[in-house]
Amino acid sequence: MSVAQTEPVLKETTREIVTAWERTTSSRRLYTVIGIILIAIGFVGSVQYADEANAGHFFERLPHLFDFLQWLIPNDWNDVWRALFDRASPLDNGSEAYDFAAGRVYVWGDFYIPEYFELMITTLNIAILSTIVGFLFAVPLAFMSARNITPSPAIRFGARRICEFLRAFPELVFAGLFAAILSAGPVPAIFAIILHTIGALGKLFYEIIENIDMKPDEGVRSVGGTRLERIRFAALPQVLPNLISYGLLRLEINVRASTIIGAVGGGGIGEELRLAISRGFGAKTLALLLLLFLTIIAVDQLSAWMRKKLVGEHQFLLAH
Amino acid sequence: MFELKQVSRVFGRKTAVDSVSFAIPAGQMVGVIGRSGAGKSTLMRMLNRLTDPTSGSIVFDGLEVSALKGSALRSWHRDCAMIFQQFNLVPRLDVLTNVMLGRLNHRSSMMSVLGLFSREERIMAIAALERLGIEQTALQPAGTLSGGQQQRVAIARALMQQPKVLLADEPIASLDPMNAKIVMDALRDINEREGITVITNLHTLDTARAYCQRIIGMAGGRVVFDGTPAELTTEAVNRIYGADGAIDETMTSTAINLVPSPKPVAAGVLVSAVH
Ligand SMILES: Nc1ncnc2c1ncn2[C@@H]1O[C@H](COP(=O)(O)OP(=O)(O)O)[C@@H](O)[C@H]1O
Ligand SMILES: [Mg+2]
Repeated sequence: MSVAQTEPVLKETTREIVTAWERTTSSRRLYTVIGIILIAIGFVGSVQYADEANAGHFFERLPHLFDFLQWLIPNDWNDVWRALFDRASPLDNGSEAYDFAAGRVYVWGDFYIPEYFELMITTLNIAILSTIVGFLFAVPLAFMSARNITPSPAIRFGARRICEFLRAFPELVFAGLFAAILSAGPVPAIFAIILHTIGALGKLFYEIIENIDMKPDEGVRSVGGTRLERIRFAALPQVLPNLISYGLLRLEINVRASTIIGAVGGGGIGEELRLAISRGFGAKTLALLLLLFLTIIAVDQLSAWMRKKLVGEHQFLLAH
Repeated sequence: MFELKQVSRVFGRKTAVDSVSFAIPAGQMVGVIGRSGAGKSTLMRMLNRLTDPTSGSIVFDGLEVSALKGSALRSWHRDCAMIFQQFNLVPRLDVLTNVMLGRLNHRSSMMSVLGLFSREERIMAIAALERLGIEQTALQPAGTLSGGQQQRVAIARALMQQPKVLLADEPIASLDPMNAKIVMDALRDINEREGITVITNLHTLDTARAYCQRIIGMAGGRVVFDGTPAELTTEAVNRIYGADGAIDETMTSTAINLVPSPKPVAAGVLVSAVH
């Protein structure tokens, strides 16, 4: 018996479907292979490029990484706590490496906020303020970008391009630009993070909005509600928990962004960290890293907890 | 008085409603029946203007409904209330707010966006809920109510609009027989008490016979029957549901008449609170 005979006779339509499937599968495989090759080339290329940009010193210097870590080790481990809480160090010899007590920010009488906590608050403040402002601008832009809310293609196009533009540049680029105009400090950092936040949240938000159930909207439309009323009463209640949840996630990201911008002149804890590292102040660097680490963990935990509460409630309300 | 002249609606190549003409005098309770896909929902939505007619004219008391735009159209939405099979409430908002949404077109947009409903409106909303026997749910999120309760909230919202016409698109299709009876009784009560024209799509013949003074039968987008329940003969039923003659009325029945009425909602309890 030949192979051809055992093959069942296929109906015309079945055969068409099978061929179409085979065709798409083989082209999909081809794309996968091409994709993997491209990624491999890109990876090797970018490593080499980064090395060259480092004037070829990256691989050469790799063994010296340990040298870098050496200076970090303080002469007295207790200095880390002293640096963190601005207590005087017994090693204080008048140099900047040990002038822990000098940074105290007196609030009332003998009560003071340690310098690093104050700087951390500055950084957190930049992040919180710019997340809130960015959020407030992202929401209307997202409604203007959503197909189910805004019928005008021109408005949608405009709103989406604005978000894309703002998202395209990292905070650092905006920060550099604003620093040139407004001089260095927290204000350009705030503007920079706000702009990037609007772009990032606007995009996420409009996708959430486009996925809402339109039946409540039709209900509000059927009583004669205006577009604003339809957004307020039919769309917003559906999306608000999700929007806030993404806003909190953005806050986490913005705490990091605001630290980094600080390091390049935006003030706050980032700047202090860069100074401590560049001058080789081991105890100070460790104190700053510890504080930063604990703060980021705290922000992450807090926002995760709040998001869980929000989404949990959301699920409860959707259950009929 | 509703007057439709040659009203059609086309979706792509599909004619959902095909040159429909009829007139409905004020205060009538009309049932629209027909197979799924006959164009009943599309017809309803055109009356309310949630969907625009492709051609033809819809006139209500001299008002050219089919030509309305902007705020005049929103006023028409207010005057021509609609309730839906899937209720279309806002599940996250509490029941009272959902009912007060019926006042949106009676007030300034800025006030309502800020959520500022007046004390009178709250009282009115509670009265409407009492009339439908669900005032105890007022503070719950609407999404947590049962289907029958949600439909009653939707009717309360419609009452708040103080409409001239009440449209209902399959209002009882997702309800159990007992809730179906409560909802149908409420619609009849609104029709009789306030004299509001009620037009409702129904998928059960016996409900249409029991509640409506007039029945309009649709098939393939056209009106193929228009008369009283008494005139709806087996022959007419076959014209509406298909000529195979195999339609047994009890098959489409939700048997609501077999369920002992739990409490006469249409009488006693109901106080005309809104008007
Ligand atoms: N928005 C729409 N887009 C395309 N076709 C539609 C739309 N709405 C309804 N139709 C079509 O119009 C016909 C009538 O639908 P409908 O009015 O919902 O019927 P019924 O309510 O009697 O079941 C159906 O064939 C349906 O597929
Ligand atoms: Mg329908």
